Amino acid sequence: MTKKKEFKLIKSSRVFDSKGDVSLENGALLIEDDEVVQVGYQKDIKVPEGAIATEYNYEDATVLPGLVDCHVHLIGIPDGRAGDETAVESDEVLTLQAAKNARVHLYSGVTTIRDCGAKNKTTFMLKEAVKMGITPAPRMIICGRPLAIIGGHLSYFGIQATGADECIANVRQLMKEGADFIKITATGGSTRTSYPFLPSFNVDELTAIIDETHKFGKHTVAHCASSQGMINVLDSGIDTIVHGYYKEPDGSYLYRPEISERLVKQNVYVNPTLHQGTETYDALTSKAQVQTLTDLEKDKINTFKSNREVSIENISRMREDGVNLVCGSDSAWNHYKMGEFQKEILTHVEVGMSAAEAIRSATIESARSCKVDNIVGTLEPGKQADLLVVKGNPVKNISDIFNVVDVFQAGSLVDRDNFI
Amino acid sequence: MHAKKKDSQFKIILCNNIIDGVSNTPIKNNAVLIDGSKISDIGPRHEIKQPMGADAEVYDFSNSTVMPGMVDAHTHHNGFGDGRLGDELVKLPDEILVLNSARNARKSLFSGVTTIRENGPKNKTMLELRKNIVRGDQIGPRMMLCGRPISIIGGHMGYFGSQVTGEIQSRAMVRQLIKEGADYIKITATGGSTITSDPLRPAFNLDELKAITEEAHKFNKLTAAHCTSTEGIRLSVEADVDMIIHSVFKEPNGDNRFDNKTAELMASKGVYVNPTLHVFRSQIWAKQKSMADKPENKEDILALDIEKKEFERRVDDVNKLIEFGAKVITGSDSSWGDYQLGNTVYEVECLELAGLSRSKSIKSVTSESAVSIGVDQFVGTLEKGKEADILVLEKDPYDDIDNLWRVQDVFLRGTIIKRGSSDSINLMRQFPPRN
Repeated sequence: MTKKKEFKLIKSSRVFDSKGDVSLENGALLIEDDEVVQVGYQKDIKVPEGAIATEYNYEDATVLPGLVDCHVHLIGIPDGRAGDETAVESDEVLTLQAAKNARVHLYSGVTTIRDCGAKNKTTFMLKEAVKMGITPAPRMIICGRPLAIIGGHLSYFGIQATGADECIANVRQLMKEGADFIKITATGGSTRTSYPFLPSFNVDELTAIIDETHKFGKHTVAHCASSQGMINVLDSGIDTIVHGYYKEPDGSYLYRPEISERLVKQNVYVNPTLHQGTETYDALTSKAQVQTLTDLEKDKINTFKSNREVSIENISRMREDGVNLVCGSDSAWNHYKMGEFQKEILTHVEVGMSAAEAIRSATIESARSCKVDNIVGTLEPGKQADLLVVKGNPVKNISDIFNVVDVFQAGSLVDRDNFI
Repeated sequence: MHAKKKDSQFKIILCNNIIDGVSNTPIKNNAVLIDGSKISDIGPRHEIKQPMGADAEVYDFSNSTVMPGMVDAHTHHNGFGDGRLGDELVKLPDEILVLNSARNARKSLFSGVTTIRENGPKNKTMLELRKNIVRGDQIGPRMMLCGRPISIIGGHMGYFGSQVTGEIQSRAMVRQLIKEGADYIKITATGGSTITSDPLRPAFNLDELKAITEEAHKFNKLTAAHCTSTEGIRLSVEADVDMIIHSVFKEPNGDNRFDNKTAELMASKGVYVNPTLHVFRSQIWAKQKSMADKPENKEDILALDIEKKEFERRVDDVNKLIEFGAKVITGSDSSWGDYQLGNTVYEVECLELAGLSRSKSIKSVTSESAVSIGVDQFVGTLEKGKEADILVLEKDPYDDIDNLWRVQDVFLRGTIIKRGSSDSINLMRQFPPRN
């Protein structure tokens, strides 16, 4: 006995399929079970004979592909603590936190996430629990634990490798556990025992990791908080770079067009994570009103504005130089809560993108960087029916992307009021 | 982005029908004053006012019934209630069990249960969940935890992580659990559904039971024992266990034989009884549902008939216990077997079936169950000084016990819980099979 197919007809004043720059006016989609089967003008959509489609009609609204956030940390506790402090929490507590974050993100319109690093098996466990129906979450593309050097950034999550062999062994171990990609911390970062302006792994180690990962048909993502880190991972065949700060070993900013050129030539995606600093700045500014800040915190406040200006300038130049920028929030890290991915999308307009381009960077382009563009990222026949419905017209006015009306995941309307 | 509305310190709940958990009938035309997380006053409407100069948020529940949040003295938050054995459940990793427990905790709370006593989770799953709840990162009812049940080697729920032998190990385990944060000690005094255990025979010897209860009582902690055999009940009562769970009067050969002498002793010692009737009935319901989906089968019908008779027998035995004057309270035993959390009311219904009056059955899931698990100084009644854990029902359960299902709002620590869409809430309820 075959299960009867379920059809849904979604009509809206606008449908933005994320393939170009314009929306389809009076557009509609036909969904069959979990898949989009037709996209077009309302008058052209044909429900198969004999079938009855449940109809949804969205006035003064835009239907978009569900958002794809290519950089999250599900286990993050966004109260400003350092990852060093997150990592001391038990796996049980971190898994609970991950479930909570995943739900908030889904309800806010993000239907696909790439988790860029968690402790031990926590994200694998969450993914399993989602499969069991215990808790809702976006589609999860996970790396499990990031590969770090001894004392390197995120090394507290469980993997510290030295030498090509250990690196390869760790890739294989993660593949065995179910990793969808491999995250590498190619420079230090906020981790106290690491050096953000210096590279971490050597090129032979990076090459070993990346080659081994590619052998399994999976992709690689590298954290780079300085230029030499970018050069090293470019030498080793990386697929995506996160942060991509143009910083010299002494911490000074220096835009290096030859690196951008290589990023373009090698077709490497860059995820700038621009919004996060603003959250920290806002949190510290309000904290300053009620208590004295530490020297480190004061320093963050004092340098925030000028740093952000340079970052915006550098990322704008990267974009002008043709680098493919993809949108990823890096929440819930530091103070950036999950469920607010849209704030990161807004920064992409700040670096010069049109609203349509910024939306594409947070849908189809980030889906490409996550290697899931064959199933999500645009609205077209054959893709998964992951949809975001917002009031207004974000292609004209990007901040309308915050006005979430409904979210569909694999063809089902998400009950955003389900707290069970 | 709109700022989160701050909860005001004072709240006044206007009601026309209060079940305070003390009186035997609802009280008319009353009001409750909440100060922060506590009830600071309760009485006739015209007498209830916030302090001079202070603001109070007023909730008008004049058309509803207001009662204490329910206290479920027996839960298994790790469980799924989908018929799987504990032996299977325990194979899941702690991270998944803790996620399921968090989900179950929300189900309990949304259904109006504001305090639970957990009877058997794996490892530290519930201790970790509670830590997260206390920190404000999750929501869930107040929790009285045992850590893990204490079992003999291969005994019931031994797989959860605390198997001991002998007086010394027993005492050490009590101390270990208390160190980890246990509020009471759960003992599996007979076997149970655990494959390597025998439900019809005692597990611990008397000296071990005595060591456990003595050590627990020394730390001012209560004890509760799982007993599915008469001999297990007898030994547990002799060892001064504070609550007998299941209380199945069966001989080692499986014969049902109610033991008057033990029942009398239970009543005179003031031992609490948690009969867990619905967890048996839910098994019957599940069987009926699965039978409805397949062709009629003689063996199934026969087996079902046996289970139905067993259930009737259990109801009769609980009735006898009530007659003997034993203190019977509500503890659902969900999510165990086929019984899912969020459905505590079914157990209350069953206790009425066994002979509790309406007023007693309501108390069995509020004031009496609170006393039985040692939290009556905080919860279980609506009285001045108690925690403001309040259940608002659309209709009065004194008219129909079924009205306990009609939850309108739940206050926990003086704050209304956001329970979410009615679609999601309605999905929690397990319905009996048709016919």
